[in-house]
Amino acid sequence: MAAILETEALGFSYAYASRPVFNELDLVVREGEFVLVTGVSGSGKSTLLRLFCRLEAYNSGRILFKGKAIETYCPSELRRFIIYVPQIPSMIEGSVEENLVFPFSFRANSDLEKPSEKQLSEMLEAFYLSDVSLRYQAKKLSVGQQQRLALMRALLLEPEILLLDEPTSALDAESSAMVFSIIEELNASRAKTVVMVTHGTFVPARVKPVVYSVENMKLRSL
Amino acid sequence: MSPVVEISFWQLLLALLFILVAQIASFVYHLGLNKDISIGTVRTFAQLFLMGYVLTFIFSIENLWLTVGIFVIMAISASFIIRGRVREKDVPYMLPTFLTMFVSYFITAVFVTGLIIGVAPWWEPRYFLPIGGMVIGNSMSALAIALERLFREMRQQKGLIETRLCLGANYREASSEMFRNAVSAGMIPSINAMMGVGLVFIPGMMSGQILAGADPLQAIRYQIIIMLMLVGSTATTSIITILIVRKRCFGKGEELLLGEK
Repeated sequence: MAAILETEALGFSYAYASRPVFNELDLVVREGEFVLVTGVSGSGKSTLLRLFCRLEAYNSGRILFKGKAIETYCPSELRRFIIYVPQIPSMIEGSVEENLVFPFSFRANSDLEKPSEKQLSEMLEAFYLSDVSLRYQAKKLSVGQQQRLALMRALLLEPEILLLDEPTSALDAESSAMVFSIIEELNASRAKTVVMVTHGTFVPARVKPVVYSVENMKLRSL
Repeated sequence: MSPVVEISFWQLLLALLFILVAQIASFVYHLGLNKDISIGTVRTFAQLFLMGYVLTFIFSIENLWLTVGIFVIMAISASFIIRGRVREKDVPYMLPTFLTMFVSYFITAVFVTGLIIGVAPWWEPRYFLPIGGMVIGNSMSALAIALERLFREMRQQKGLIETRLCLGANYREASSEMFRNAVSAGMIPSINAMMGVGLVFIPGMMSGQILAGADPLQAIRYQIIIMLMLVGSTATTSIITILIVRKRCFGKGEELLLGEK
């Protein structure tokens, strides 16, 4: 399968740090792959995902999306194709429905059709949220429910790559199992490319992941 | 109308009793303001006397470039006072702040002196500098409030801004209410001043004119022009400055450069 996301000799360091986070890091992610990035806390796993969607600016090397440097895309359009779901979901003030549809008001998403209430309700069911009303205040939901809502919100924009930053770190075992099941389903049935960062020992049951570990400012294939 | 009562040097010193009261209050209640009150008092005397001599000199020679030069110095000083209040190090905001202030205030002051009051020439220092000073002084406070609010909200709402960016928002869409809140916060004091003027307080310029023996009905005309001018200049300066500085809060990839604090 063709490469969808690549890094070439990627280098990055934070302005306040004496040691770089990444140095000459190379990675190839192919279409439809399920990539797991592991590593100790503070090794730069989340930073790697943030670099892919330009939430951080790298210092050297290149990042390519579909063979073209990510700088050649308008940032808001790039972020529609490569959606990053942060570790702690962020909800706006308002209902579940408002939280799901607000991205459709952004200019970069103007060509997408806003989902109907029926479609949203069906999706809530598929995400184990059938007991949650579309009128309910999103900020009152549990973190596990908000995390599933954040995943739903990302998927409604039909991204090509999902970047997931420790999506179950704040969840109990039951909620974690639900979220993992959804992510596997997305990759297996809907052929979404997934790059997921985790510090745990998640072993997908239905898909075979490509696993890397962040070590010494590079990625090591496991 | 009674003539202006001259204030002698000893009468001026008598006014220091007010400062004495403030110093005693600070000492008794451990406010820690004694040093600041002392420095402020000395600066008030020194700066205003200096200004008095400078204005006397400028009024006597009536030179366009000197008048504009003094105006530039006033705008630069205002920029540094804003920097002292805002204390933001991650985003370079000084240059856009100064340029916007200078251009906007200059246009406002020229408009008021040249067109509304109709002074000839438009830069007549006796009109241009006090009016320019009022625009700079009032809008400076508004700008400091607006900038401080913008940076604070951008840092506090970093998670929300990044969530929007990640879902396809451009930097303007991601920070729209932080922009609105910052501009509104800066403008509220001058709008409140319009509400209270004449009811709650008599503005400084109008009081000065009345004390100097001017007809109150003439003084209010000047004051109305000044109040409207201040709201207009505060709005334009705040909006333009916050638009430019907000852009500077984001990098080339529209990534937020401010970290959470």
